[in-house]
Amino acid sequence: MKATVVEGVEVGTMLPPMTVRFTRERLVRYAGASTDFNPIHYSEYFAGRIGLPGVIAHGMLTMGIALRIVTNWVGDPSRVIGYAVRFTRPVVVPDDADGVEVEFSGSVSAVDGSLVTVSIEAISDGQKVLGAARAEVDLGVRVPHRDHEA
Amino acid sequence: MAITEAHAGRRYPPTDPYHVSAAKIAEFATALGDDNPRYRGDSPIAPPTFAAVISSRAWQQLFADPELALSVERIVHGDQRFTFVRPLRPGDIVIATARIDRVRVRGGSELISATVDITGRDSEPICAAQATFAHAREAAV
Repeated sequence: MKATVVEGVEVGTMLPPMTVRFTRERLVRYAGASTDFNPIHYSEYFAGRIGLPGVIAHGMLTMGIALRIVTNWVGDPSRVIGYAVRFTRPVVVPDDADGVEVEFSGSVSAVDGSLVTVSIEAISDGQKVLGAARAEVDLGVRVPHRDHEA
Repeated sequence: MAITEAHAGRRYPPTDPYHVSAAKIAEFATALGDDNPRYRGDSPIAPPTFAAVISSRAWQQLFADPELALSVERIVHGDQRFTFVRPLRPGDIVIATARIDRVRVRGGSELISATVDITGRDSEPICAAQATFAHAREAAV
């Protein structure tokens, strides 16, 4: 498959950012799709019982959406060979029409031959909701090294 | 009983086989709001984090293990790493096998690190899912 992003990739390359709205409808949809029916993701009562300020998004939902930054950029999701995040803060999703926005951004943090590491940030309500989020992508083609091949 | 550091190395039997389907892949991609064409059409692949759907079946075994005496409602997902050998596809019949790598006690919490190996026919490695879960011993007030 053609790797369309190789040209010009270097440490510091920014990926197109993305803002995604998290609503209760999205949480219910993800619960069904993922089969994670933990009630803290749809019920104030159960969220409050463990001390949460409200219903929160599934960490795996935030992780899954964050990777769209990378797969949109690379085109072929099978090029993702590793992906890791820390769940630093919950995304609290209010029970209204607007929900809450999460802003995602990504930048290339390492290049090694055809392997590119993208560091991802996810911000909700001014706070980082993912920590140390990194995806490793094999572009399948050696990334030209600027110092030697420019 | 309760979970202790001595439970590192504990292994669980493989989950029942999971049959990956195009419909479930499309449903999952839609839930992520992801319109990538590779998740749809004649020969789709699963979004990478679809591996959590299969891993969670193995995590449930661990959470329900009477030897560990965990309360599911006090478990929080702390971190997650996936290592992918290849994407999941419709027709894959996969199993998930969990083991506890490490248990650390921090204040009122136990930090449980576990690896789930997702494998196909003839033990073909497909994905490894490493997670850390924090289990609070006392319910928050």
